[in-house]
Amino acid sequence: MMSAEGATEAGRQAPPAGGEAVPTPGRAPLLARIPDIAPLVVLLLALGIFFAIKSPFFLNYDNFLNVLTAAAIAGIIAAPATLLLVAGQFDLSVGSALTFCGVLMAYVADKHGLAAGIVAAILGGLLIGAINGTLVTVVGVNPLITTLGTLAAFVGLARVIADGQTLPLNGFGGLGTSRPLFNIPLPVIVFLVVVGVFYVLMRYTVFGRAMYAIGANPVAARLAGLRTGRLLFISFLLSGLFVALAALINVSQLGAASTNAGNGLELSVITAVVLGGASLAGGRGTIIGTLFGLLVIAVLNNGLTLLSVNSFWQDVARGTLLILAVSFDQLRLRFAVDT
Amino acid sequence: MSDTPFQLSARGIRKGFGGVEVLHGVDLDATGGSVLALLGENGAGKSTLVKIIAGDYQPDDGLLTIAGAQRTSLTPPQARDLGIRMIFQELADAPTLTVAENISLGRWPTRRGLVSWRAVKRRAAEVVEQLGVDLDLDAPVGSLSVGERQIVEIARALSDRARCLVLDEPTAALSSQEAQRLFTFVRRLRDQGVALIYITHRLDEVREIADRVVVLRDGNVALEADTGSVTREQMVSAMVGRSLGEVRRPVDVHQPPVDATPALRFDGAALAGEFDGVALDVHGGEVVALYGKLGSGIAEVAECAFGVRRLSAGRMELDGKAMSFRQPWDAIAAGVGFLPADRQREGAFMVRSVAENLAAPSWGPLSRRGFLTADREATAYRRWHKELNIRSRDDPRQLLATLSGGNQQKVLLGRWLERQSKVLVLVEPTRGVDVGARQEIYRAIRALAASGVAVLVATSDYEEVVQLADRALVMGRGRVVAELADQEITTQRLTQEVGG
Repeated sequence: MMSAEGATEAGRQAPPAGGEAVPTPGRAPLLARIPDIAPLVVLLLALGIFFAIKSPFFLNYDNFLNVLTAAAIAGIIAAPATLLLVAGQFDLSVGSALTFCGVLMAYVADKHGLAAGIVAAILGGLLIGAINGTLVTVVGVNPLITTLGTLAAFVGLARVIADGQTLPLNGFGGLGTSRPLFNIPLPVIVFLVVVGVFYVLMRYTVFGRAMYAIGANPVAARLAGLRTGRLLFISFLLSGLFVALAALINVSQLGAASTNAGNGLELSVITAVVLGGASLAGGRGTIIGTLFGLLVIAVLNNGLTLLSVNSFWQDVARGTLLILAVSFDQLRLRFAVDT
Repeated sequence: MSDTPFQLSARGIRKGFGGVEVLHGVDLDATGGSVLALLGENGAGKSTLVKIIAGDYQPDDGLLTIAGAQRTSLTPPQARDLGIRMIFQELADAPTLTVAENISLGRWPTRRGLVSWRAVKRRAAEVVEQLGVDLDLDAPVGSLSVGERQIVEIARALSDRARCLVLDEPTAALSSQEAQRLFTFVRRLRDQGVALIYITHRLDEVREIADRVVVLRDGNVALEADTGSVTREQMVSAMVGRSLGEVRRPVDVHQPPVDATPALRFDGAALAGEFDGVALDVHGGEVVALYGKLGSGIAEVAECAFGVRRLSAGRMELDGKAMSFRQPWDAIAAGVGFLPADRQREGAFMVRSVAENLAAPSWGPLSRRGFLTADREATAYRRWHKELNIRSRDDPRQLLATLSGGNQQKVLLGRWLERQSKVLVLVEPTRGVDVGARQEIYRAIRALAASGVAVLVATSDYEEVVQLADRALVMGRGRVVAELADQEITTQRLTQEVGG
């Protein structure tokens, strides 16, 4: 829905230079050759320099790991979210799904053991993905509304299961807190591996290519022989699966499953993805862009904390960043069509 | 209308975008009570020129004299005040509102600050009366045909004191019946003293509707003349800068052997509400045209051949085997390729690269265990880039949106070359493609057929049928009404068979 509208919108704005002039052979215009990611790298460096000057605690290895650890949970979820947005889809239910999977894990583990808890969490994530996927691809509900619905439903369900309490979980600290390599926390390693997997998936597989095509023009994608419905369904499943993984890490880090664990997570994820250059109109975006988007948010939060800025301001900063990123996306869309 | 006739004259209009000048000092005159046809290929500068007249763009140089007022540039409100209205190709109406509401759209009459629905209705009734058209004022505009919606837009302009009406390719999406109706309105408006500027690709329309014609080429006026004193050939050569000659039959007409199994066959095929009892054969090596107006069922037959829709009755065979495609991928796997009518909406991935656009249906065969590198796509693109004479940078990563319409179409045609389709179904393959590129696309299609591919072309353009087809089926109201062999395919015969 989003992507189809976006596509026609872009088409309608076709100006004389693009719509009329026959392009002459030659090199791409200079501006078009600057990688999309360049402004983000500049922003990240600027933030880094700023905080390094302002705080003596910013520029060291441990704090660097802190930044990455803070980005890990959102990052593991942002990878499939990038895939979805590239295909013109959204998943707002990720925060709620994380809470649900965590609570399910702790609840089942308490009764049937850790292994059963892990399986339950993964099945829970896949279930949410399947529900979202079915509603979007089979029933044809707008993904924004679909996942807004599942967002509300599953956080509620989590609170029903936990009876509103935080469920403690012992003996499951390894995934969230161990540091197997160069003192790097395992969640960070998992996060970077997930990013690597999605990098390959989106760049070098037919599946990844297909997602870009669907985002660029879903009707044309079907007419080019892509099984659009099935592919989108799989993407929603992937989103659910990686949310479950993130939930396991989250529970392990906290040693408990909180019914507030995933609150507002969808905002962080979408902000990072959009900041990373994925177009809301679909068809454009990269996982490397998302990685930098995540780092910008994490550095900003980390720096503001080090400067002892009231944590409520972090929410303000994150919201502002999202709006700036979306505005930038609009401007870029206009510019891309103009050249 | 007022007493002195409306007069618009543009002198020495220049306009550039990003350092590239697209209008090099153009003159244009439009007079109340006459129709001016503005001709030119894509990129000739037609749209830029009329957008300057409508105030959407400011010229870099030149003078506009409109109804006595001299201006070096206009803003959109100023142009409105001077009575200039544009009707764009793409409808700019509000589909969920009624005809009456649309006619007053944006300037609803009010009474004490509240919208007076009675006045809305009265104004709509007046203008509809003036146009002499029969429209249900309470019907939502979305429920009307494209032609009727266009008339609603004209009615809106008219009720808003239009003195100069610019129509941008208004018949592009109309059946010839609807087009005729539109011409009636255009003439009526002309007789009421409105100045009309009529932008078109179609040369036969110029003769039919316009008093004067201006041909733009590469940002210059290439020809200005009374339509009575100019030949079709003169207009064509002014447009393309060289003579293209008559609409000619292909010289290599293919005659399939009598007992050959057709590559594609329909027998008693029907789609409820769209077509019925359709029988057709297309052999390898042959181009068969399915000619008819919009709504005659040609596009629907084509869609059934590709699994976009499913036949509700009858048989479809591929190489003698009964087939029933549930979805396009079934058809592609069986060796069928498809070029949709609306390139922008149904064919192109505008924000993706030319290589991806060309390779998309072949991703499966090009990949190894689901893995695919950009190199293999680029190789596939380079394979067809020269062959199809796609004019672009030699860069497989170039975005499709940066190519001209004709070259985009060649990329989409290349999809099925790469996929090695045995049956190709093309719907309106040269819609929105300029004259020069059109010939190249015809050549590519003929060459494809010569290599053994069976080609079915569904088109509402009879010149296309004459230039392209070995055989032609004419459809009307969902049925095949005539089948024409080689020598019978003439523009006269086609227009005659399809009916008035």
